[in-house]
Amino acid sequence: METANIEILLVEDNQSDAKLTIRTLKKHHLANNLIHLSDGAQALDFIFGKGEYEGRDITNKPNVIFLDIKMPKVNGLEVLRTIKNDERTKSIPVVMMTSSKEEQDIVESQKLGANSYVVKPVGFDNFSKAVAELGYYWLVVNSNPSQYLRS
Amino acid sequence: MNKGKKPDELIIANKKLLFQYGEKRKRAAELVIANKELIFQNKEKAKRAAELVIANKELIFQNKEKAKRAAELIAANKELIFQNKEKAKRAAELIVANKELIFQNKEKAKRAAELIVANKKLIFQNKEKAKRAAELIVANKELIFQNKEKAKRAVELIVANKKLIFQNEEKAKRAAELTIANKELIFQNKEKAKRAAELTIANKELAFQNTEKGKRAAELIIANKELLFQNREKEKRAVELSIANKELKIAGEKIRESERIYKTIASSIPGSMICLLDRDYRYLLMEGDMLEKLGYSKEIFLGNKAKDVWSPELYIQGLEDFKRVFNGEVFTTEDDLGEHHTITKFVPLKDENDKVYSCMVVVIDVTELKKAERQIAELNIGLEHKIVERTAQLQAVNKELESFSYSVSHDLRAPLRAINGFTQILVEDYQEKLDEEARDVLSVIIDNSKKMGLLIDNLLEFSRIGKQGISVMNVGMKELADSVVAELKQEYPNTEHQVNVKMLENIKGDKNMLKQVLINLISNALKYSGKKKEAMIEIGSYKKDNHYIYYIKDNGVGFDMLYYDKLFGVFQRLHSTDEFEGTGVGLAIVQRIITKHGGKVWAEGKVNEGACFYFSLPIFKSISPQADKNN
Repeated sequence: METANIEILLVEDNQSDAKLTIRTLKKHHLANNLIHLSDGAQALDFIFGKGEYEGRDITNKPNVIFLDIKMPKVNGLEVLRTIKNDERTKSIPVVMMTSSKEEQDIVESQKLGANSYVVKPVGFDNFSKAVAELGYYWLVVNSNPSQYLRS
Repeated sequence: MNKGKKPDELIIANKKLLFQYGEKRKRAAELVIANKELIFQNKEKAKRAAELVIANKELIFQNKEKAKRAAELIAANKELIFQNKEKAKRAAELIVANKELIFQNKEKAKRAAELIVANKKLIFQNKEKAKRAAELIVANKELIFQNKEKAKRAVELIVANKKLIFQNEEKAKRAAELTIANKELIFQNKEKAKRAAELTIANKELAFQNTEKGKRAAELIIANKELLFQNREKEKRAVELSIANKELKIAGEKIRESERIYKTIASSIPGSMICLLDRDYRYLLMEGDMLEKLGYSKEIFLGNKAKDVWSPELYIQGLEDFKRVFNGEVFTTEDDLGEHHTITKFVPLKDENDKVYSCMVVVIDVTELKKAERQIAELNIGLEHKIVERTAQLQAVNKELESFSYSVSHDLRAPLRAINGFTQILVEDYQEKLDEEARDVLSVIIDNSKKMGLLIDNLLEFSRIGKQGISVMNVGMKELADSVVAELKQEYPNTEHQVNVKMLENIKGDKNMLKQVLINLISNALKYSGKKKEAMIEIGSYKKDNHYIYYIKDNGVGFDMLYYDKLFGVFQRLHSTDEFEGTGVGLAIVQRIITKHGGKVWAEGKVNEGACFYFSLPIFKSISPQADKNN
């Protein structure tokens, strides 16, 4: 059980993408306290202190969740819906990450209350730029949830 | 009263007298009552007497009646007695008659007996007569001989007589002739007298007739004059009639001519029939092979009235139609006549005064047509079923394709990202350890993975446009083209291009899609003319047949029209990537968008002289979902 304040929760089933994301964040000193989970079911257990995370202090909320849309078992959109429908968790900023520009995904994410959306580009330089910007924005510029809620 | 008596006795006597007086008074009162009673009784008796008198009178009347009745009874008795006597008389007479009859019967019996005796006598007499007859025959023979002798003598006497008679006759004849001649003379005299009288009458008659003739002659002269006048009138009328006849002849010829035309029409259209009826519903014309098909011959109809041709039920039906026609109505009915399905048109034929003089009925057999219609309907139903099936299949395939393209966009890009990303890490983190060649190889890997990412992106874009609906709005094409040119020029900063955007017609369409079209075509023009020294690009539009036609013309490398059919295919390229970069999706996307808008794309080109790309958009056509299906 971690006691330190969780800065970033990364939910990503693709290990390559996860490594690239973590590397980028680290390079920008944004991954000091980052937890990486590999699917949606695990993410929900962690957030709500169930299953293998039974007993976790759920008031220890991440400052931002990077959530991949396309995942096995429970996909990113379902995780997003659950988080945004729960009073305890709805204030956590969620950044949706996806490989495609598929409109249905963007529209659906916005409807469910996602705070940002990023299309993972093929080019690594663009990718790292996007991730770094988002991480910086949600962790540094907009770290106060109440501020976010007012915006 | 006795005066010597003592006073006591007197008193007693008085008392007695008093008492007697009182008694007498009582008695008198009683008498009065009794009298009254008597008077009442007398009155009653008198009443009774009066009643008795009346009763007596009644009795007397009744007695009289009885006496009358008795007298009548006596008379009746007398009558009865008389009748009885008569009956007794009659009975006596009957007895006498009976006796008479008995007597007569006895007489008859006697007579019968006498007759038997008489018969016997007669039989005897007959026998005697036969005997006598035989004797007479003998006697007769004797007489015959004597007669013959007498006859001879008679003949001789007759001859002598005849001679005498002839002589007498001659004398009588002569006398008669003289008498006749005398009578003749008298008759002739009388005749002459008569004739003279007649002549006198005849003369008178003649004189009268002459007078009459004179009168008649005068009348005849007048009559002649009259006739002359009438003759002139007749001549005039004859002239008029001949003119009218000529007119009628012409009219008749016209009618015959039109009948000939109808006949020709009817007999030359297979499966049809024409008939004409006059105002009496009489068939004037009946022609066409339909007649035979329906099992009729025209002789049944021609010259006959509909009433006499059809059964009463059919005639009543037909009458409704004929009446409508003669009211000037034109109409069509559809009927099933046995195996034949027909369309019948009723047309009124009108004269110059707009009066209907004839009804034309045209019957056309549409059995085959109806059959075909039914077949078409059946086929259509079949087709609709097929369409529903196919649509369902296509929808299933579409869904599959959607999930396929979704997977492609996610799953193909992820490994590319890993290849690109980790190669980049190598380049960034191990720069010192790698030599020049290794770094080149890594940059090739990075370039190719980027290019594949672009290919996937373009492919997804192409399939997305296919699925997307279009939202129509007014699009200012000139402004749109200007902004696109400005954006694109930044991407080609090193080339000297002269881009001339002329006035462009505004159009209705999906602005984003049309922008994509302009981007693809203008960037192509920039790209393929980029190697020219004086690159010229012209963008313009014109109107043709309800369409605006837009064109983008360049003087670049152009293309060989031989490969024109490959120009708009997905991933089809006429140049290598070494010469010109590209994925081969741009023109395919252009074609998809324009087709969706109901327009067309085409191009002209010549190697090294340039190319011109055209696209047309319908001017006022609202873009319907059907345009979607064209894809």
